[in-house]
Order: sequence, then structure tokens, then C-alpha cells
Amino acid sequence: MPEQVLELTVNGRKQKKIAKPGARLLDFLRDELNLTGAKEGCGAGECGTCSVFVDGKLVKSCLMPAMKADGATIETVEGLANKGELTPLQRAFHKTGASQCGYCIPGMVMAATSALRENPFADREEIKERLGGNICRCTGYQKIFEAVELARDVMNGRLPATAIDVDEKAEKYIGANVRRLDAPSKVSGSLRYAGDMTMPGMLHMQVLRSPHAHAKILSIDTSEAEALEGVECVVTHEDVPGEDGFGVFVHDQPIMARDKVRYVGEAVAAVAAEDLATARKALGLIRVEYEELPAVFDPFEAMKPGAPKIHDYADGNLTKHIPIRKGDVENGFAEADVIIEETYSTQAVEHAYLEPEAGLAYVDHDGVVTVLSPSQNITHHRHMLSKIIAKPINKVRFIMSAVGGGFGGKEDMIYQGMLALAAMKTMRPVRLVFTREESIATTAKRHPFTTRLKVGFKKDGRITAAEMEAVADGGAYGLSTEGVMRKAAILSCGPYDIANVKVDTRGIYTNNTPSGAFRTFGGMQVQFAMESHMDLAAERLGLDPFEIRYLNAMRDGAVTHTQQKLDSVSATRVMEAAEKASNWERGVPNGRGATRSDLGGPGTRKACTLGARLAEQADHRVEEEVA
Amino acid sequence: MERIVRGRGVAASWYGIARTATIDRAGAWVEIDDGGTAKVVTGVTEIGEGILTVLAQIAAEELGIKPEQVTIGDNDTARAPEAAHAGATRQTYMIGNSVALASRDARTKLDREIADHWNVKPEDIRAFDGEIWAEGSNLRMSMEEAVDICKKRGVVPVGSGSFTAHGTGLDPVDGSGSPWQAYVFGCQVAEVEVDTVTGEVQVLGMWAAHDIGRVINPRGVEGQIEGGIVQGLGQALMEDYRLENGHTTTHGFAKYILPTSLDIPEITSILVEDHDPRSPLGAKGIGEPALVPTAPAILNAIHDATGVRIRSLPATPEKILAALAEKRARDGVREAAE
Amino acid sequence: MLSCDDYLKPKSLKEALQAVAQAPAGSRVIAGGTDTLPWAREGRAGDVHVPALIDVTKVAEFQGTRIENGRCRIGAAVPYQPFLDDVSLRAALPCMPYCAIWFADDQIREQATLAGNIVNASPVADGTPALLTLNAEVELARLEGDEVAFRRMKLAEFITGPGRTQLMPGELVAAIECETAEGYGGSFEKVGARRSLVISSVCVAGLVKTSEDGRSFADVRLAAGGVGPVAFRFDDIEDELVGAEISEAAVEKAADHAARRVASRSRVEYRREVIRGFVIRAVEDALARARPAIPHTPSLKEAIHA
Repeated sequence: MPEQVLELTVNGRKQKKIAKPGARLLDFLRDELNLTGAKEGCGAGECGTCSVFVDGKLVKSCLMPAMKADGATIETVEGLANKGELTPLQRAFHKTGASQCGYCIPGMVMAATSALRENPFADREEIKERLGGNICRCTGYQKIFEAVELARDVMNGRLPATAIDVDEKAEKYIGANVRRLDAPSKVSGSLRYAGDMTMPGMLHMQVLRSPHAHAKILSIDTSEAEALEGVECVVTHEDVPGEDGFGVFVHDQPIMARDKVRYVGEAVAAVAAEDLATARKALGLIRVEYEELPAVFDPFEAMKPGAPKIHDYADGNLTKHIPIRKGDVENGFAEADVIIEETYSTQAVEHAYLEPEAGLAYVDHDGVVTVLSPSQNITHHRHMLSKIIAKPINKVRFIMSAVGGGFGGKEDMIYQGMLALAAMKTMRPVRLVFTREESIATTAKRHPFTTRLKVGFKKDGRITAAEMEAVADGGAYGLSTEGVMRKAAILSCGPYDIANVKVDTRGIYTNNTPSGAFRTFGGMQVQFAMESHMDLAAERLGLDPFEIRYLNAMRDGAVTHTQQKLDSVSATRVMEAAEKASNWERGVPNGRGATRSDLGGPGTRKACTLGARLAEQADHRVEEEVA
Repeated sequence: MERIVRGRGVAASWYGIARTATIDRAGAWVEIDDGGTAKVVTGVTEIGEGILTVLAQIAAEELGIKPEQVTIGDNDTARAPEAAHAGATRQTYMIGNSVALASRDARTKLDREIADHWNVKPEDIRAFDGEIWAEGSNLRMSMEEAVDICKKRGVVPVGSGSFTAHGTGLDPVDGSGSPWQAYVFGCQVAEVEVDTVTGEVQVLGMWAAHDIGRVINPRGVEGQIEGGIVQGLGQALMEDYRLENGHTTTHGFAKYILPTSLDIPEITSILVEDHDPRSPLGAKGIGEPALVPTAPAILNAIHDATGVRIRSLPATPEKILAALAEKRARDGVREAAE
Repeated sequence: MLSCDDYLKPKSLKEALQAVAQAPAGSRVIAGGTDTLPWAREGRAGDVHVPALIDVTKVAEFQGTRIENGRCRIGAAVPYQPFLDDVSLRAALPCMPYCAIWFADDQIREQATLAGNIVNASPVADGTPALLTLNAEVELARLEGDEVAFRRMKLAEFITGPGRTQLMPGELVAAIECETAEGYGGSFEKVGARRSLVISSVCVAGLVKTSEDGRSFADVRLAAGGVGPVAFRFDDIEDELVGAEISEAAVEKAADHAARRVASRSRVEYRREVIRGFVIRAVEDALARARPAIPHTPSLKEAIHA
């Protein structure tokens, strides 16, 4: 591999290193200088986690060839403050609780630092615009804006330093705004996620993935890849010593495809090599013979007789059906004055945690197979892996590394098995870090739902019966589908007291990317339908949206759709709180926005028109002159 | 129609806490350590929601020390007791309660020794913020001294806790059952602006009232609500993982569109505390429930502003503009008929 | 992933042209690199190996901007951010700050060059319509024997299709030169899937100058991107408005012609719906920012709605 010499100043220290000509500045900082505060969130300049200063200008280091920075002065998150200290801005992030998973935070701190360097008086609109290239998936940005405004005011002297550094004395710790204990490590970039970790002798893994949605695997020839210099091993399903299957409810997915592939992107083989480039090159040398099979991409098509069968055990491609029957819906609809029926649909959604999947596996001195990864379920993963690799459970160890966002997406054991197999085969540490594209294309999504909902109402708005049929695309493997169907069914018709309920949720196998656990686990899809429906009914019946909800809300002692008797029910309390806080003006939801008088009040922002700094710059000049 | 129109919408929601339709469990160990500090060990940890801080607050409160004096050892199946998984809005409820129980267990052992040392009844011992004292007396010392005394008496003050949530399975025929022992409710109001030239929606304000049981860390709860709302907003308006014959067409963040700092509303959180009677802490949870009502509140607000109802998510500018055109045509036909 | 055997950073135009001439086939010229690096990833070109990357951002002749005699010369290495930050550029090229604020984000604006945006010839490039309103030309450099030779052509002619330009093998864009438009109001309307770091579905750039009394349009220039294979000027609408009295009716009537210019292959209905409103808005926003000879500014926008 050709090399070029790179000389630059990083965080005040001169560096002279040999670099690969094509390496990105991000790779150089992380791999050569071990500065892992800049993270790779997307590799395509779309998320901002890799932001660093180059000659005083903030740039995205994943978009900059390292050689471009030759001779430049670089400042990374590690260099913002003296060692062991934090800048006022970093301390303000700590104070306001601006970090959650923390993965976007070094980049966010850099962008905010740049914003305040460019304009120490930037207002909130300008701050927002200057953070516009940095994605945060956890916080909703609110606490980040608070932090930047607080730091701005302390740094420009409008507020004393105590505004950042002093907290109210707590009388009790439960109920107090105790600062996040993990925030300093996140705002300083010192917290190491799995992809930031290395071990001596560590190998790099890359995964060969299916190009077909549904195909029989006729053969896999790894010999050429194994012969490539620098390749330590190739693993396939043949390396699995035990019972090969994982999933959250049914263990229907092999560590790597065996016999057939069921979705595009399914793992087929994995290479562990001395470096990433060699591992990637080796993937191209693995020969897989496929015989394509008819595939099905729509759950309604998949349910039809004669549809391609994706799993032998699942007739009609049904993963799980959950029925709920309470009262008698036919009687309920007969009592109704108005019956409203509609079909709603929700899309597949990506978790988009800023930390792509990553893991590091090794076999320790006692022969314990150890997998370190941002797993949301180390308990279950250990159970499954012990069966898969046929080892006693105390010879399998899972360590949960810092999780750079999960939202349910890191509950599935989709890559830890491959790492364990390669570590066992090579007896060396093996690391795998997903690219963003790999993370998006191959990991679980929120289940897309098609929900038919029929609800009967009396003239006064009282619900007499509700019938829901929801069909969800579960994709190629079971993962959490069963649980999602169950939760969707239980929550289906919302927080309402309904005497007659009939609900059916069905999760269906297709050859799409698998659906899995995602924050609300089916709860939001069905309640989107029900809550849209409540407004439709309010409009038809001439009621205010709050009014129809109060009328039907569960109250203390209510019996749920699954016939559970509740004791205390806070449904009307939260509705009252929301109505009061929003200063809601009552009326029929018939598109009356133009006539409302409750708009634009406290708790709203201005619409974003972009260009805040173009308008603001003039103002600050005036302000500075006055001062 | 005006170029810019505004409206509001509301949606209510409910949710269950911890694993569904099954018995849920979590375990923890606690040691009151030298210097009046503490070690808490449990099997599952932080995914960004702030559970480490919540556990430190719980342990500090129960043990009578400061949160920063708590060291949490966690996240390792070979070193820590099982806490199951990080999900299902179960962290505060399951692990929080198991840490509370373990802390109480450790305190019982410490209190017994200190009560004996002072010759008072163990139930009169109190502790907070690194100080321990006997109620109704002037007996008081630091937690550091108390641990030292306890150890000199030959006792290491350790405790363990296991917390159980009793959900039951659903009947396979009628679905009846008690899937959770704790429920939470929520309600959100959205205010939107719709640009009728482009179909773009800007969410300008959200008011989110959520019952979370007893609040452990208000700022942390707000953070969960704010994050949940922005994920809900993303699903309502822009996020869309697309496939063509099984191949994704949204490979990266250039195509898979996420909300940025410019897309988000002002958010007002209202925390309603309906304490859970079935657990030591009375806390419930907020992680998942926060985003349930967001999308329907926004979509109801879009209808309020424009008179068009979008039934399929996401409500992209294109979909809204098409619906507006359709509505104009429909209204035109109606007017012509009249 | 992008990999290369050699990374070249020529310091002069001649060196750059020589590097281009001598580089093995398959080598690529990069400026900011913000398009090339994401291109070499899964879902697009995948792993790409090129013999050499020729980075032209250090070429002396490509640096900086120069305003003189009613012209502005923008060196090929000039990134987007100065169009936002530099007060004299903002005054000279009044639509550029609004274009720049919509372009990508602060970090990418520090890296991505305007010339690079043009050379890529993406139908949705934000820079193209803005430069079209400024009657921009591109200056192309090549080697003739041992000498550097130049040619120049109108931007509208330079871009011939999606990803296609008149750039000849061995040639480099050395600069963009455009008219300055002091006294004009500028605007840039854009819609995408969100408001930051997003690709245009439709964008319209506008420049408007009013008559001395502020009552009629002295000049109107409008260009659209994202609605066809190449960005274009709305000559017909401009012709209709120039000289006309400023009124809402005049602008709306002229904008009626906008939709028929939409020639996209996808989302045609949407783009037709949007483009008319954008033309109106681009005129209106530019008008509100135009500096009239008599101080009429606050009432101009009102005049439109009168």
C-alpha cells in the first residue's frame, strides 16, 4: 500500500506520520492518533459526529482526505480544554442534561463551540442554524439549545459563572435534578464506545451479505478468500457448533444464512483479517452460488394462498396473530348512531442511533467467549449464544459497552454470533464496526402497519364498540414481531373505556428487511389510528377533541380491552394538564385553524425561515456599539 | 387558501410498564463501602436514557449518601446479577426498584450495627447526604465513620434485591389477561404551521403531559419526552425507510431523512405523578410512552390547519400538497353542485 | 470507501493541469471533496479505487474572490461560506447569501466549493440557479503545449444535462465570473424533505431591481433548479415583469407560466404546484430586500398585498 507523509498540528502538538493517501482525516485522527472523540456516525457528511476544526474552521472530518489537512492546525474535542478540565460550554451541556447516549455529543459540542466563536451573541435561531449539520437522535435538541444559550451568556458576561457551576442544594435526591453522572465523559469525548476500542492483535471483520431477497444457497466457496494474505479466517454457518438460531421470541434466524437467504443484506459469511481493507477485499473472493426463489414484499400478498413460503413452519407466512375479544361488538355497533371506518398506515422507520452497530469479541485466558457490544439485552444474548456455540453458560460472557442510542434496535443479536465464531476460530480478538449503510440496510425497522379501524359512537360521543384489524410487515425474520403484535393488540383502542372490543393483530413474514423492537413496540402504530379516528368522530359529532376524549377516557377502576381491572387511572388528569398548559380553545375539529385565537402563544417558536445570522449580524453591531 | 396556515391537534395515549404479559424480574447488589461510598452492581445499564444517574439517586436516597458517592458496576453477565434487558420502559421500574430493595437490605445491616453501637433501636436510625443519626437523640456521625464501625464489628454491609413485576399472559382465544401491573397515560397537543405553497409542515409547539409515577429526575424525564417527541415528529413528517423489491433505496442519512435542530418545536413537558402502589419507589416510566401520541397530535393539527386528513405516515410535503389539491377539487365540485 | 495510490496537491494552475494531463486514467480531480467521498460508498459507487486524487484547492490562481467593474470573479477553490460571511460579497451578489444558507450546513459550506457544485452539474445543485440570475460565466483552463490557455462560456451553456458539462478532458474550471447586482434584492426559495442539510426538490433564485420611484420593476431575474435536467432562467416571466408596475396581480399572472417549464421525470405534479408559488415568493422576497432609490422599502411588500 502506498504511503505519504503527513505533518500537522493536532491539539497544539506537532504530528508527523505516514498516512495512506486515501485515508480520511477522521481515520487519521482515530486510527493513527487514537483521538476517538470524533466519531463516525454516517461517513457521508450527513450527521456531524466527526466535526473538527481545521485551521479554525469547523469541518466534517469524514469528508476530508487526511492529505488535504497536511500542514494544517487541527483542534478536536479532546483539545478544547486543558487535560482533565471542561470548557464552559461542555460544563453547560453537563448542567442542562444535554447529553443522552452521548454519541453525537462531541460533534455537537464542536458545532456549538464554532457557533459561539463565530458569534458570541448568537440568538437561539442562529444557534439552531449553526447546529443544523449535526444530528442528535436522543435529546430532541431542546436541552442542547439551553446549554449553548447558557454557555453563551456566561462566556459573554451576561451571566456569572455560577449559573453553570452551581446547583440547587437538594433536600432529597429522589425528585432532584441531579446532573448526569456520565455527562463529563460524553461532552469531553473520552467515553469509548465499542467501535473506539482496540485490543492487541485485534482482527477486523467484514460481512458478506445477500444480494437477493429470497434465494437458495447452493454453495459457498471461501477458499480463495482464505488464501488471501492477511485473512485469518472466514466463517459461515458451517462453523456453528450448536443449535443455530436467534430471535427475541422465536429463534428463527441463523447467525449466518444456511440453506437460503430471506432478505437483501442478510449475513452469509464473515471475514476476519489483519486490516479492514484486506477484509473488504476478501469479501469479493467468496463465491456463493444462489438459486433465486420467488419473493414476496407485501404482507397482504404474503398471506394469500400460494404465496412464497418464507419459513417452513409458518403457514400463510404468519409470524403471530393476537386476538382480543371483549363484550360483543355486533351488539355494540347495533347500538351506535354513527359508525366510522377507516384504514391507516404507518411506514417502516429506522432507529438511526448515531452509533452504528459495533462489537469486539475474544476468548479469554479461561476459555470464556466474551462479546463486548452495545447490546440492549446481554442476558438473553448470553443464553442464545451459549446454545449456538454449545458452551456452558458460564463460558459465555456478554459485556454491554456504552450504547450510542438503542431505541430497541440493539436488542437483536444480529452480529455478535459472527464475532464469537471468528474469535473462537482464530483465538484472537475480532472487531466489527458497521457502516451506516450496513446499519440501515440490514438491521430491524419499526413494523409498518396497515390498520383498519371501525368504531361505533352514540350521538353524544360515547363509544359503543371498536373493531381493529392490523396487519404488520414483520420482514424476513421473527425478531420481536410476536411481542410487537401482542403490545399493539393490548393497547390498540387507546386509553378508552369500551365495552365491546374486537382486535386482531397479525405479524406477517415477507422478504423485506426484518422488523423488530422500536420504542413503543407496536403501541404508536395502533394509537395513531385510534387517535386520528377520535378526531374524525369529534368532527362528525360536533364535539371538541378533548371533550370526546374525556367522555370516553378510562377512569379509576376501568376494565381494559384485555379485561384487566385497573385501580388508579390518570388518563383524564394528563388530558386536563395538556389542555390547561396549551391554553386550548375548544371547538369542533373541522379545519378551524384559521379561526383559532389560541395560536402563537407561550410554548411556541417562530417558524424557521433560515438566514437568522443575516438579519442578526446587523443587530449585534448595534448592540456592541451601544455597549 | 392563505399561503401559511396554522392549527392545533391533540392526541391521548396509554402504555404499560416493563415486559408485557409475563413476569418481569431484575436483580441488584449493593455494598456500603469505605469512606461512606457505595457500590451498586446490576446487570444492565445506560442506553442514554440516564438510568445510571437515576440508580445513583435511588441508592443515595436509600443509603443516605450523595449520588456522586455511588459507583455503579454493571453491564457484565459474568460479574453482575441479572437485570434482563434495557428496553420496555422497564429500567427505572425494574432496576430502580431492585436497587432500592438491595440498598434497603444493606442499610438494614448497617443500621443494626450502628443501633447496637449507640444502644438505640434500629428503626430510629436515619441517614441522608453522608450523615447518619438516631432520631430523637443527639447521636450523629458521618457515614464514613459508620462504615468503619460496622466493619470493625466484623460486618460488611452488603445487600441484594430482586424486584418482580407480575404480568400475566393473554388468553389465546379472547386475549384476556393482566399484561402489566403499572400503566401510564399521556396527552400531547401540537401546534403546526403548514406552507400551502410547498406542503411543508413546521411543528411550532408541543405540550406533553405524561404520568410517569413518582419522578426521580425531572430534567431526565423532560429529556425523554423531548427526545420521544422528536422521534415521533420524524415519523409523522419525514422518516421513511423505503424498499424496492427488497432493496433499500434509503441507504444513508442523505436519503433517510431525520429531524435536525431546525425542524423541531418548542416543547413544554408537564409531569403528572400518579405513584405506583405496587412497587417500593412508586415510580413508573417514560421512555417509550413519550412518543406514542406525537404523530397523531401532529396529524390532527395538520387537519385543523388545512382541512386535509393524512391517513398514511409520513405526511410529506408532497402528500399534503396532493391532498390540498384534491380538497380544492372536491370543494369546487361541491360549490358547483350547490 | 475511496482509496487512491497518490494524492496530489498542485500549487499552481499549470502544475494542476499537468497533473491532470499526466495522471493515469481513472484519476479524479477533487476540490472540497464533499461529493466525492460520499459517492464512494455503499448504495452509490461502493468501494472505489482511483490511481490519483488531484486536489485543486491549493492552486494559487483558484483562490479568493475579486469584485471590480461590475463583475465578480470567484476562484475555483472558493467555498460556500464566504457568500454568507463576507459583507462585500453579500452586497455584490444579493441572492447568494440566501442560496448559501440553504446549501448543506456550516461545516460543508467551509469545504464545498461553488465551482465544484457547478462542475458536478447536478440538476438539484443549489448554486446553479443563483449563478444563472447573475449571468455567470465559467472560465476553463487547459494546457496548450506548455502554456495555459483559457476559454470562457456562459454557465447556461456549460451545463448540458444531469452530470454533463462542456468540460473537455484535461480541462479545469478556473473560476466563475458573474455580474454584480448591487441595489438588487436577492432571494432563494427551496423546499426539500426538511430545512437543513437537504437536497432540493425545487429551488428558485431571484434578483429584483425596482425603478427609481420604487413603483415598477426595473429588472427581474428568476431561475429554477430541481425541476428539469438542467437549471434554467424564466425568460418569459422576466420579460413580462420588467417595466411592469409592481402589483400582486402582475406577479401572479406572470407566475402562471412557471409550471409549464417543469420537465422532471419524477414528482412532476408536486413540482408544478410548488414552482408557481416559489416564483411569486422569490419576486416578493427579493423585492422586500431591494434597495430602492427612494426609501420605500417598508411599503413595498404591502404594495404587493394591496
